[in-house]
Amino acid sequence: MEFVSPEGLRLDGRRPMEMRQIRAEIGAVSSADGSAVFEMGNTKVIAAVYGPREVQNRGQQLNDQALVRCEYSMANFSVGDRARRPKGDRRSIEISLVIRQTMEACILTHLMPRSQIDIFVQVLQADGGTRSACINAATLALADAGIPMRDLVTSCSAGYLNSTPLLDLNYVEDSAGGPDVTVGILPKLDKVTLLQMDAKLPKETFEDVMELAIQGCKAVAQYIREVSTQNFIFLASVSQLSVIRNLSMLHISYLLAQTNEWSI
Amino acid sequence: MRELQVGLNQTQKVRLQSALRQLEELSSRVSNSSTASVTVADTIPVNLEDGVLKGHGTTEHNGEVVATLCGVVERVNKLVYVRTLRARYKPEIGDIIVGRVIEVAPKRWRLEINFSQDAVLMLSSMNLPDGIQRRRTAVDELNMRSIFEENNVICAEVRGFQHDGSLHLQARSQKYGKLERGQLLTVPPYLVKRRKQHFHYLEQYGVDLILGCNGFIWVGEHIEANEDEMMIDNKSEETGKPDLKFTALEMQEKAFTPFVTRRNICLIANAVRVLSVLGFNLSLEVIIDTVEASSSLNLDIKDMLGAEFCVLTAEREVKRRITLIKKKC
Amino acid sequence: MDPYQFTKMVGLSTGEKHFIWGGIAQDLRSDGRQRLHYRPISVETGVIPQANGSARVRIGATDVIASIKAELGKPSMHQPGKGKISIFVDCSPTAAPMFEGRGGEELSTELAVALQRCLLGGKSGAGAGIDLSSLIVTEGKICWDLYIDGLVVSSDGNLLDALGAAIKAALSNTGIPKVNVDLGPSPDDQPEVNVSDEEFLQFDTSGVPVIVTLTKVGRHYIVDATSDEESQMSSAVSVSVNRHGHICGLTKRGGAGLDPSVIMDMISVGKHVSEQLITVLDSEISAAEASATD
Repeated sequence: MEFVSPEGLRLDGRRPMEMRQIRAEIGAVSSADGSAVFEMGNTKVIAAVYGPREVQNRGQQLNDQALVRCEYSMANFSVGDRARRPKGDRRSIEISLVIRQTMEACILTHLMPRSQIDIFVQVLQADGGTRSACINAATLALADAGIPMRDLVTSCSAGYLNSTPLLDLNYVEDSAGGPDVTVGILPKLDKVTLLQMDAKLPKETFEDVMELAIQGCKAVAQYIREVSTQNFIFLASVSQLSVIRNLSMLHISYLLAQTNEWSI
Repeated sequence: MRELQVGLNQTQKVRLQSALRQLEELSSRVSNSSTASVTVADTIPVNLEDGVLKGHGTTEHNGEVVATLCGVVERVNKLVYVRTLRARYKPEIGDIIVGRVIEVAPKRWRLEINFSQDAVLMLSSMNLPDGIQRRRTAVDELNMRSIFEENNVICAEVRGFQHDGSLHLQARSQKYGKLERGQLLTVPPYLVKRRKQHFHYLEQYGVDLILGCNGFIWVGEHIEANEDEMMIDNKSEETGKPDLKFTALEMQEKAFTPFVTRRNICLIANAVRVLSVLGFNLSLEVIIDTVEASSSLNLDIKDMLGAEFCVLTAEREVKRRITLIKKKC
Repeated sequence: MDPYQFTKMVGLSTGEKHFIWGGIAQDLRSDGRQRLHYRPISVETGVIPQANGSARVRIGATDVIASIKAELGKPSMHQPGKGKISIFVDCSPTAAPMFEGRGGEELSTELAVALQRCLLGGKSGAGAGIDLSSLIVTEGKICWDLYIDGLVVSSDGNLLDALGAAIKAALSNTGIPKVNVDLGPSPDDQPEVNVSDEEFLQFDTSGVPVIVTLTKVGRHYIVDATSDEESQMSSAVSVSVNRHGHICGLTKRGGAGLDPSVIMDMISVGKHVSEQLITVLDSEISAAEASATD
């Protein structure tokens, strides 16, 4: 099958290096501490963060850091061919683990010892790149919950079809059987935290594809930073942050006392 | 823009958006350049030669001070920290908080206060019902449930962090204690500013309003807090106050909050709900102002949670801030 | 066991319970509503473009999504003249941490079964709120199978009514592709099916009922209970009523026994309330459809 036309256009009319339209919205679940919706084209996921809060199962409590948990679930209607899949199948467990490890790597867990952070991601529509969309949504939700992080981790995927590296595969391209490279990066620190690929690829080509995915991540990062800044400025101006600049002495002494604990 | 959990029609949407945009403009006019907003991983410009104390929400990377939260940069002498908005409660000594008892443990109660851990209230950190200062006996320990039991809503003060990192509370005054006959609301803690006064007795409404620093807000019937009454109350408890469940329904109905007071409680609670949905600061004046606006519109209490009143509240806030700015000039 | 105990993270104190009871007795609930008042309802349609029809309904802080997928199938042997509908519900852990893992399973199943009872009628499909014979393409050979999936995104009580309303809105948003069938020369031949990509038939939703749940707290009953109020319920009766005032299904939940006369009373009140609910939903749905086509 031809995935890139002679004119250099993909099935959905994109150029090979073009990402689908991304859109994010913060604060979709009122009961959660932080939440966000993230869309990449037709892929749409909701992430909700609960915590940091008291560890629910005392046996799991960690004395030097926060316990991070994650659950990924897919709505029955999220895929084209409707399939009723039992909760907690192997794929969901694997993705939950991937998201948890990726997020754990950027959360400053040592600042919240003996507490628990739950990240729930719910896929509403799956059209390729759910892994990446989930990570991006989780990042925004964690930022919304005011949880301290090293960096805003972002993710994007890239593939290789018809001898062309393609950015951000949709479902049809993903199921073509070519390689799918999912990358997650810490953009500021310039580090890769997540890297997955199925299918085979020559090393030189892999480098190109991975570089393309990293470029995608950076584009997502720029957007996510903008969204979270906008959200903060909005909240601040509405709640009149400028009024609260006069610090009480108590506050200052408390902050000084906490300084050693909170900085690394 | 954050999504509001209200169904707005087209005109209401436009009106709300323009009101919120005006608020944004107004605040940018007031605030000065020193309140730079940062997001996670942004570098915070500092003069390292002067020595810098990295406070909350900052970390170091490659010799630069980097933000770990979204917020505004605040500087106090050498201290640099990031003040964020939406987050769990950050306790400070002396804060007045409202919490819910999760567990009655030996010599202590554990409370949910919207912090990253449950807070601890030691039996020894609170005044005993008899009001006498003395050592706590084993009998006191056995009677802990007669003071607070699971799920009780109580009001207390932050005592401080213990060296094991747990947060301790105290309730060494008659104004602290169990809250009954009312409703508990939860709002994001940043909407409650630290003030001199967090207990409010709204005389004209006969309502107690407690704005807990942790974002738990209590709206309930006014209770006179004097020591005699406390003692009588406790005596009746010791003589076996009949459980609510087992009294006759008629008896219970007599004990219900009077209708007029209940109306006022609901009015005030809904004012808090509207303001928190919009993300406005919860100060006593604004809450009362909202209550009065709804009364002057002759609005049904439940319609205070409707789209129209929400938009009107936003528009009123714009006017209020414009007059505030004019006064300053 | 009361399934709604799962929807509340922490319990209420005796004082708060007493306050809720008192409010219901005095006809002024904690958010200022009277016993038979709903919270503000908002409807959004077409939220899942991949589905044939979908809607998101919010009642106060309760937020649910319903999606409809139509697939061609074979009618069952016993009802050659009818299509098939199945309903599933999922409670997303985003709504509340206690839904994680298998935590939401019991509630999900209960809601799905209650929806089936309220909307689909008996096993034979007789008396269903949704007309199953409209789903037939060729009698005995081809029919549409409708898969209705509900997802609870945020939960603050009254999930069943919200899901019922979302399904009603999603159905009115549903377009079923037009099908041309080429029957072979002999009746045993597999017929050739041609599904149109462009022509869609609007699903007839005039007969789809709404669900009204009456929750009994103390001596009185209320509609649209919040999860705090649900935690105080002794029992609840859900009635599904269509436009003509016909009762299409009924479920009683909760442990406490009810006097038959009270049940009759609750049903007639439910019927009365359903008229207002249908009006509100109709206007919300048409507003949502209008804004979706803009």
